[in-house]
Amino acid sequence: MSENAAVKILICQGTGGVSMGAREVEAEFTRVIAEKGVNAIIGKRCDVIKTGCRGLCANDVLVDIISEEQGRVTYDFVTPEEVENIVDEHIVNKTTLEKRKAKPYYNTFVDQQMRVVMTGCGQIDPESLDAYLAEGGFKAIEKSVKEMTPASVIDEVKKSGLRGRGGGGFPTGLKWSFCAATPGHHKYIICNADEGDPGAFMDRSVLEGDPYCVIEGMMIAGYAIGATAGYVYVRAEYPLAIERLQLALDVCYEKGYLGKNVMGYGFAFDLRIKKGAGAFVCGEETALMASIEGERGMPRPRPPFPAVKGLWGKPTNINNVETFANIRHIIIKGADWYASLGTETTKGTKIFAVTGKVKHTGLVEVPAGMSVREVIYNVCGGIANNRKFKAVQAGGPSGGCIPAEILDTPVDYDSLIKAGAMMGSGGLVVMDETTCMVDVARFFLNFTRDESCGKCVPCRIGLKAMLDILERITEGRGESTDIDKLLQMGTTIKKASLCGLGQTAPNPILSTIKYFRQEYEAHINDKRCPSNCCKELLLWQVIPEKCVKCGACLKACPVDAIKWEKGQIAELDKEKCTKCKSCYDACRFMAIE
Amino acid sequence: MVNLTIDDKQVSVAPDATIFDAAKAAGIRIPILCHDKKLHPFGGCRMCLVEVEQMKGRLIPACTTPVSEGMIVRTATDEIMTARKLVLELLLLKHPLDCPVCDAAGDCDLQNLTYEYKVNANKFTDEKFHWDIDYENPLIERDQNRCIHCGKCSRICDEIVAFGAYSFVNRGIEAKIGTPFDGKLDCEYCGSCISVCPVGALIAKPFKFKARWWALKKVQSVCSYCGTGCQLTLGVKDDKVLTTIYDEDQGFHNGQLCGRGRFGYQFINSEKRLTTPLIRKNGELLPATWEEALQLISARLGEQKSADASAVAALVTPRLTNEELLLFRKLFKEVVGTDSIDHSAGYAHAALTEGLKESFGITASPAVIADIQKSNLLLVVKTDAYETHPVIGFEINLGAKRKGLDLRTLSDKSGKLSYLPGAKNYVHKPGSELLLVNALARVLIDNGLADTTANGFEALKSALAAATLERAAAVTGIPAETITSLATDYAKAEKALILLPLGLAYPGHGKELAQALANLAILAGKIGKEGCGLLILGEKNNSQGAADLGIHPSANGRNAAAIIDGCISGAVKMLCIAGENPVVSYPDRAKVEKALDAVPFLVVQDLFLTETARKADVVLPVKSFAEKCGTFTSAGRNVQRIRKAIKAVGQSKSDREIFSELITRLSGKAVAADAVELFKEIVATIPGYSGLDYEKLGDTGCVYPVSIAAQLVPVTAAEPAGEEGKFALVIGSSLYHNGTMSRYGKGPMLVCSEQYIELGRADAVRIGVKEGDSVKVKSVSGELSLPVKVGRRMPEGVVFAPYHFDISSINSITTGSPVTYVTISR
Repeated sequence: MSENAAVKILICQGTGGVSMGAREVEAEFTRVIAEKGVNAIIGKRCDVIKTGCRGLCANDVLVDIISEEQGRVTYDFVTPEEVENIVDEHIVNKTTLEKRKAKPYYNTFVDQQMRVVMTGCGQIDPESLDAYLAEGGFKAIEKSVKEMTPASVIDEVKKSGLRGRGGGGFPTGLKWSFCAATPGHHKYIICNADEGDPGAFMDRSVLEGDPYCVIEGMMIAGYAIGATAGYVYVRAEYPLAIERLQLALDVCYEKGYLGKNVMGYGFAFDLRIKKGAGAFVCGEETALMASIEGERGMPRPRPPFPAVKGLWGKPTNINNVETFANIRHIIIKGADWYASLGTETTKGTKIFAVTGKVKHTGLVEVPAGMSVREVIYNVCGGIANNRKFKAVQAGGPSGGCIPAEILDTPVDYDSLIKAGAMMGSGGLVVMDETTCMVDVARFFLNFTRDESCGKCVPCRIGLKAMLDILERITEGRGESTDIDKLLQMGTTIKKASLCGLGQTAPNPILSTIKYFRQEYEAHINDKRCPSNCCKELLLWQVIPEKCVKCGACLKACPVDAIKWEKGQIAELDKEKCTKCKSCYDACRFMAIE
Repeated sequence: MVNLTIDDKQVSVAPDATIFDAAKAAGIRIPILCHDKKLHPFGGCRMCLVEVEQMKGRLIPACTTPVSEGMIVRTATDEIMTARKLVLELLLLKHPLDCPVCDAAGDCDLQNLTYEYKVNANKFTDEKFHWDIDYENPLIERDQNRCIHCGKCSRICDEIVAFGAYSFVNRGIEAKIGTPFDGKLDCEYCGSCISVCPVGALIAKPFKFKARWWALKKVQSVCSYCGTGCQLTLGVKDDKVLTTIYDEDQGFHNGQLCGRGRFGYQFINSEKRLTTPLIRKNGELLPATWEEALQLISARLGEQKSADASAVAALVTPRLTNEELLLFRKLFKEVVGTDSIDHSAGYAHAALTEGLKESFGITASPAVIADIQKSNLLLVVKTDAYETHPVIGFEINLGAKRKGLDLRTLSDKSGKLSYLPGAKNYVHKPGSELLLVNALARVLIDNGLADTTANGFEALKSALAAATLERAAAVTGIPAETITSLATDYAKAEKALILLPLGLAYPGHGKELAQALANLAILAGKIGKEGCGLLILGEKNNSQGAADLGIHPSANGRNAAAIIDGCISGAVKMLCIAGENPVVSYPDRAKVEKALDAVPFLVVQDLFLTETARKADVVLPVKSFAEKCGTFTSAGRNVQRIRKAIKAVGQSKSDREIFSELITRLSGKAVAADAVELFKEIVATIPGYSGLDYEKLGDTGCVYPVSIAAQLVPVTAAEPAGEEGKFALVIGSSLYHNGTMSRYGKGPMLVCSEQYIELGRADAVRIGVKEGDSVKVKSVSGELSLPVKVGRRMPEGVVFAPYHFDISSINSITTGSPVTYVTISR
């Protein structure tokens, strides 16, 4: 960014943006501005800048135009065809296209958040070292090395109260101090970017939007712990993150930020990417290390803990992307500032990936301690289609659900665990009245069963046995003893499994039974799915009293199983019906059961 | 020591112990399925879960969790029992209940635990697996449906055998133990995986449907193949040895065996065993009584003794027990009065009987097997140490993979050891090893790394004048700086050990090589200390015993080679052979056959009608090691007992009985023939054995001590006379065979049944042949047509052949030099 740039055009190019055509939009802006000679016309330079994710990926392509006169204006759903018009009106004529502006909810969505980790995401060019430096990049490592000892860096992190953002919530400073205390010359820093929870993508967005801040966090950890090498373990399904991170690493080596003599400070730190092949279990730290070593990604027993005997038998410190991304802010702004955010036990902010039946899905960074209700209703605009909120699954397949009764639970580690859920990596899947909780449990268990590495018996066979029972229940073949069986097994599997995957996999079942036992009972005793979700249990008929004769079901049906004429109540032909649920989803009046 | 409480018992254990170890020490049994003390902790089966007061909230695996001070452990609470029962129920959900036809029934950990935990009903239902059973491997049958995923097969194959035939594949319920690309199990057939499999997923094909485990009588013995001295448990039923049984507490090797030890036992009850004495009448060997046969032999021995005792010669295999060897020596040296006795030492064991005798004043290695893992640097001369002594190979694997042992191999070809992590290989031109070792010694002297006070230093120094680095580099093909760095590393290592296998497979300069290596060790001061020294690995189960008992000519007698010559020249009039098979195993087959045809009276006592026995005038059937008692002495000087497991096959007598009867007939005096009595005599007469007691040898045996008088002995190295355009043929041992006896074991023959020649890839391409094709191999002494094996380990211009086989035996074209130059054509 040059000093005299007056107009900045920020184009969101996270994976979401790119897949919606952000590259084409960027090319179009560049072309139009050049061809029209816009710089000359307005007498200022227009910089077209690609940025990382801004959170509301559902509205991509997002384009922010910042100018002196009009301030910051956001346009959403931008297509290349509109670019010329936007340039002409907004930049040349200086008239904001009010109709094309993002709706007010966009600003609500952004303003309700507090961005610490994602400061750079969506603001700076992730592929530019200069952009990062202009934001104060590499000042934290400089401060650490010049003004602080390794021990005081660890103390600062301890004092900040930062806890691991990977899900377990172990105090980061304490973890560092363990690894630092282990004797040995070769130590490793690993960044866990094997984000695998369905629906969670904050680590990806940080790597795509601000890769240098993760690198700097790892460098500081390396300095504090005495590690001279590090790995970033990124799943191969994140090609853009890998590309941007690799570019950043290359630049760092070129400019001397990494290597045998980091920034001339006399300590060595090497960093490289290890691509994971996509096993969910490789997010477990011991399996992750096995994977880096070239072994099959299977968890190893702990103790010994990685801080004592980790990668290749050497002391190793593992944190996730979001944790490392916090470090530079703690060093620069101080532990006290950081500790002032959040709650008593959970400091700082936390990024959540909000998905499901909510109006505005996306990444949300809020101070720890905000209530789940605020996140869903204030930030994300509430439930889509004006349906009723039922529950929110926090912590992905390892977490549990939070029902409406306890919607005011604050989002911090301990409150979520108390509620029977967990922070996990920060996935929030919002469910409405059409979501069947038995089916939700089945879905998550199917995922964990699939991703079990197959090493320990409770996880490998136990999850399959539990899934069989759940499937039976959703198909109307449940037995009266099933709930007790599930509870018993779930409790034992949690206690008996080898790694975090098995130890948490029964959580979705246990928490749905805890809060929605009546749904299980309805499936088992009445052979009914109260949410009309389990196909085998639907009656496949139209409820005449509820039908408003709109014909939406007819249009949705792919097999002509609906009979409807204008002004008539629809009828469903069970012979023809393939139970695809298209009509059910299309009916906004819940008239099909 | 760490103190903890387990089930209210106070226990004190070493700090590196696990809760499982501590419980075991306190006499508390914790059930396990996936744990094996030899392997890295795994923690997969979750049977060993216990409760730890300090780690509340979850159940703790006892087998992987280290103890800590003040731990309070409970091993059998209701919650633990529920969890263990759930684990068993879940396993049985998938494990087929085909126990009636499963070979493991009775020896199955899952079966036993199911019984113990009374899991008589399952609250779950599911389909069983339907994986295809792998019948392709000749020795190992693999039924994945029975697998419980303990991973032991995969782990042992990787961690100890260092082969890696198995790995976990797939995820979740679909996970299984796989082979590369789901192909057939391709491995080195040691069967370690079978031994550790807790269920019947892996079974030994030769034992399939042979007997139920509870019907087997278990007899502890010692393997009768190579000189490693592995302990063995024989599984016996109806006077037949039906299998070998794994016992993880056995021996230094923790019950680990190689393929021939585990699968090669069938020679014991082979249908080919001799059952009666045979006497040649009208050119044909016909059954006879023992009285006839022994009468005939003692008469001939008596006649020859009166005429010229020195015209009697005798050869014995070092497979016999120490007690039998004692009687053998007594019979021929004292009663008959000939000094012409040998055990192929002239060809193979001179390294011990002559070499170390001069260098150390003893006929045994100064080092023992336990030194391997205590050493920092291990120099293996001839990578074949793995093939000749596979279980010692496992020790090397463990050293290199777990203890950071700096492994160096010095050989004319690569081998399995060359591919271990961190191994550095020095591949020299065939036949140049002596010069190479001399050059290493000279580097030590030149660089001030040598002990100048060693006996004979000056003489050695001047003798090494010719072993310059330049010459060594030119002759061996290894750069001078590499030789220097090897010598320096060896000298500077805190503890360094040298390993040298020997045997009939390595003809030529065994004695000189052993002495050159002894010089190196003495110069570097790597002698007489733990983890240091020289360990010479005798080829046969009792090679060390034969050396100890002096089974070689002491003064003017003929050694094995001279006996063969004597037969041809007519100087030897009567030859007695006990267990040796010179026709196939001694160099120059044509000459050996000529000698045996020429000798006027030939007696052979053996298990089988071998190629040598067929030429005899009298053949005596003898007992195998499973039919008798006695002691074997292993390469590491461990004196161990073998025990009678079955009654004699046919009318066979032990060699001990035969020798003692002959002594009685010839001398008119009775002689002690009982193993215990004979052992007492050995203890009284053989210096190293003094103080040993037959009964006290017990199950583990006893390593006898040695005292060393180190003496540097100059050794001159002849340069190998490479021949232009010819291949250098080196012989050795196949991994699956040992000597010629393993040919009568079904297991070894299933995986390696015929003579072959191994070529490097480039040579195979040059000659235009591929694996399995036949080539003509021609040396100055003969020509053979042999099938080709193509491997990555052979350097260009060097070819390899094992020596065990009768048909197209490789000794038809070799004459006993270290290297034979041959032409090879299609």
